[in-house]
Amino acid sequence: MTPLQFEQLYDKEWDELELSLDRHAAAPSARAIAGARFTELYRHTCGHLAIARGRSYPPHLIDRLEHLTAECHQLIYQQRELGAGALLRIITRDFPAAVRAHSAYVATATALFLVPTLVLGFLVYTQPELILSVVDAETAAEFDAMYSGGAQSIGRLRDVDTDWAMFGHYIRNNIGVAFQCFAGGLFAGLGSIFFLAFNGAYGGAIAGYLTERGLGHIFYSFIVTHAAFELTAIVLAGAAGLRIGHSLLAPGRQTRVQSLIAASRQAIVLLYGVTAMLVVAAVIEAFWSSATWMPVSVKYGVAGLCWSAVFAYFAFQGRHAR
Amino acid sequence: MAEALDTVVAVETPEGILIELRPAGLVVRSYAFAVDWGIRLAVLYAVAMLTAFIGGVGLAVWLILLFACEWLYPIVFELKGSGATPGKRVFKLKVTMDNGLPVTPAASITRNLLRVADFLPFGFGFAIASMLMRKDYKRLGDIAAGTMVVHQQKPAGKPVLADVPPITPATALAPRTQAALIALAARAPFLTVERLDELAAIAAPVSGDARRSGRRVTHRVLGVAQWAMGRRE
Repeated sequence: MTPLQFEQLYDKEWDELELSLDRHAAAPSARAIAGARFTELYRHTCGHLAIARGRSYPPHLIDRLEHLTAECHQLIYQQRELGAGALLRIITRDFPAAVRAHSAYVATATALFLVPTLVLGFLVYTQPELILSVVDAETAAEFDAMYSGGAQSIGRLRDVDTDWAMFGHYIRNNIGVAFQCFAGGLFAGLGSIFFLAFNGAYGGAIAGYLTERGLGHIFYSFIVTHAAFELTAIVLAGAAGLRIGHSLLAPGRQTRVQSLIAASRQAIVLLYGVTAMLVVAAVIEAFWSSATWMPVSVKYGVAGLCWSAVFAYFAFQGRHAR
Repeated sequence: MAEALDTVVAVETPEGILIELRPAGLVVRSYAFAVDWGIRLAVLYAVAMLTAFIGGVGLAVWLILLFACEWLYPIVFELKGSGATPGKRVFKLKVTMDNGLPVTPAASITRNLLRVADFLPFGFGFAIASMLMRKDYKRLGDIAAGTMVVHQQKPAGKPVLADVPPITPATALAPRTQAALIALAARAPFLTVERLDELAAIAAPVSGDARRSGRRVTHRVLGVAQWAMGRRE
């Protein structure tokens, strides 16, 4: 058979396949193509390509068949797990399950965050001048003013406008910090360790300083509610980073790259949840934590509920789902 | 030689055929990044001018937009059909999985969140180092996500050659030799007759005219090109 005869014989099938691809490109939906016929044509064309290559048929013919099969391959084997169903599954099952599956990393990340917080908190509480080795005098004074109940205070009634501006700031800033904690894991986990310890130490120093100044009641009633979401989210992002760092250091029987890809695929589920938690935290921080008209007892009550809810969610949600 | 220089990555499909992917290198990816960067800068600038008049809510909108531009922009575009941000589309690039399939949401999110690591120590230092050291030009995020940035190719189409009676080649021709002959024949109308003769003399062994040259040999070589196009005597 000459290449021209070959082309004439099968040209109709290839045209039909190209037409289906065009129709799908114009209106991407599963209904744009007849699945059974499409896959049949695809398999035929794969056979034609193998024959054409085996017989060294003209390059333009092979080229056309290569592109045709490549495009069909993309369409047939693509995995798109997007949509409301996937989102619901992540919230009700995948995210809490991933947290439990990574419990050792979560525990490590918690320790890496909490130990510097407590150590620095205690040190600065007993020796307040140490705050100056964490932040400069100006920043320390700013924190003073913020929680002092004075004109610049966070405890004053502030207008809706500022609430919104702060909301934007929290979204951009906190989620960025969480993503950094995760990405730092790529350097054998060192980046995650650094960001966890740094954020812990910084927060601890501020808390110790303000407590020593007698401003603790304003500070703690401000942070306690959104911390349930914000601090846990940062720790979880760090845990995800530790996971990928560990996969590089101890790949087991896989190559380092294989191990990294497999670990990333599982750890990234944590980041979905982290992002959602930080959005919740930003809403609370901007619109609830700053509300001073609220009695402190109500604030601590709600905070207690939030912390319990977060832990219960991680402990129990999606355990028996199939 | 060509194999040693080419950076083509071949992946096998379940049907047992090979699909060739051409990873995109540092330079073209930097151009695409610059275009994306410009687009985002323009949007942020325009929105900043609009929201300046509406105070705190405006600032919130702008900061959230800044967040979206930093983190969500590439993810949304990579997952939205074509697998490419506008910048990548300008330079006909797209993001695919290692096996040539469209990028999955998990992989797209992974590669874009790890951009922070690629940026270190400064100015995308690690990304550049990684891309320069690897044959498939992956940055760190690509390695972890199992993705690749490849050139989107369109089939070249059937070349139009001057009508010469086909001649069966003297030896079996490898596909690459056939492609070279067809390329020569396609260029024939744009070359001077003397230059065409010179070039055809190099290809003369295909028609069994090794170490000969001239108008007749050229004619016979072009005849073999016709054969390579699929015509037979």
